[in-house]
Amino acid sequence: MIDLPTPAPGLIPKLSLRNVSKNFHTKTGKFNAVQDINLEVHEGEFLCIVGPSGCGKSTVLNIIAGLEKPDGGQALVNGKPILSPGTDRVVIFQELALFPWLSVLKNVEFGLRMAGVGRKEREEKALHFLKMVHLTRFSHSYVHELSGGMKQRVALARALAIDPEILLMDEPFAALDAQTRDILHEELQEIWAATRKTIIFVTHNVREAACLGNRVLVFSTHPGRIKREFEIDYARPRHLEDPNLITFAKNILAELKAEVEKVAQEELDYDWRTGKKKLVLRAGDHDLGSGI
Amino acid sequence: MIWEVASRIEVWPRFLFPAPSEVLQTLLQGFADRTFIFGILASLRRILLGYSISLIAGVLLGLGISRNKFIAETIGSLILGLQTLPSICWLPLALLWFGLNESAIIFVVVMGALLSITTATESGIKNAPPLLIKAGQNMGARGPRLLFEVIIPAALPSIITGMKQGWSFAWRSLMAGELLYGSVGLGNLLTVGRELNDMSQVLAVMLIIIIIGLCADYLVFTRLERGMRRRWGFEAS
Repeated sequence: MIDLPTPAPGLIPKLSLRNVSKNFHTKTGKFNAVQDINLEVHEGEFLCIVGPSGCGKSTVLNIIAGLEKPDGGQALVNGKPILSPGTDRVVIFQELALFPWLSVLKNVEFGLRMAGVGRKEREEKALHFLKMVHLTRFSHSYVHELSGGMKQRVALARALAIDPEILLMDEPFAALDAQTRDILHEELQEIWAATRKTIIFVTHNVREAACLGNRVLVFSTHPGRIKREFEIDYARPRHLEDPNLITFAKNILAELKAEVEKVAQEELDYDWRTGKKKLVLRAGDHDLGSGI
Repeated sequence: MIWEVASRIEVWPRFLFPAPSEVLQTLLQGFADRTFIFGILASLRRILLGYSISLIAGVLLGLGISRNKFIAETIGSLILGLQTLPSICWLPLALLWFGLNESAIIFVVVMGALLSITTATESGIKNAPPLLIKAGQNMGARGPRLLFEVIIPAALPSIITGMKQGWSFAWRSLMAGELLYGSVGLGNLLTVGRELNDMSQVLAVMLIIIIIGLCADYLVFTRLERGMRRRWGFEAS
């Protein structure tokens, strides 16, 4: 392997996607999951991606994680092409994917064990991150004994313990109740501020995106493309109910609404299309796009 | 009670239908003169040996079939066909291959458990949640470590079920094998009892076989299964 000269930090983006495309083959033929995605993410950014279901936002995340290969274009981390999954980019899946045969502590230790970290050191590290998510009391419990919010915390601790450069989160809070989600929003912002990780956060909740992200990308569907980009230049810590943030969310929602209608046009029956029904969306719609 | 009374009033001839007290006496006597102990030890030795071999070979075969297309297409389909064959049918073949000795009977035990452990391992691995495998890869698990730390643990519930089923098949195969051919062993004690027309010995040995089967099932496999289920959260603790 040839060592490329490393340019000064800051010049090359942490992550860049260049004309990335991905097709899927189904019974009805080929369809473009994502097409010509161009994206640069810089170190320490908190980027949110919103879009209707099926717009390929999870595909983009998988490509960055190295779990899927793009059919066209290039994905680069620190200027080097992504060839395989790597511990510099860790995904937190919506379904969390915690290991049911391991205790909470052993789950958090898993990545460190794979990296060959010694027993004592990895236990210390794991406990440190469990403390960060306030779960030390449950370190010897098994996964099924935890509530949804607690499982989410374990997944977060497990990802942070690996010390990735980029944290990829795929609708991580979608299955949680509103109160738990609020608390986790706050804590995620705190953790982000403390660790300065680059975070890419996929969601279909517009308000969540406006609350968490420095930058929000709206995806369009069929094919999945970046439709518009919003900068959310607003002081932290932010709270979901902040009226100023709701203004941001409204703008994003306006952009998204057209896309959601497009999906509905394609997917729903003829009577829906001809019934002159228009979607009335409020900024408070949590699960925009998921139930259509 | 009913058994004792029915036997005492001699509904059937006494030598065909002994009273439980007589069976108990035979049992005690058998243990006292050590014939039963030797029989039990000989059978246990065979099953432990045979079962260990089939456990290791079964898991390896299951792994091979689920991970390698060539093995799957060759041995995989063969195994499906062989599963319909009761393992005792391997005895004549084993006798010709290994001769009239221990190896032949252990071979039959191995064949009894091997296939169910193989198929259970294979299906467990094939049904291992892809998401967990992705998560493992994502956290830096590769090759053998991914296999041993993620895929096999994920397949464990199925493997344990196969182990349990394999054990009972192995135990049955062993008994059948010992009945047909055998030096010392529980099955052989049954044959001797029949030849001597000693029904109480036959019943006593049957009891021992049942008890050993139950013990293994309860003390080993049910515990193993319960521990796993509790950990995974399949049952309320």
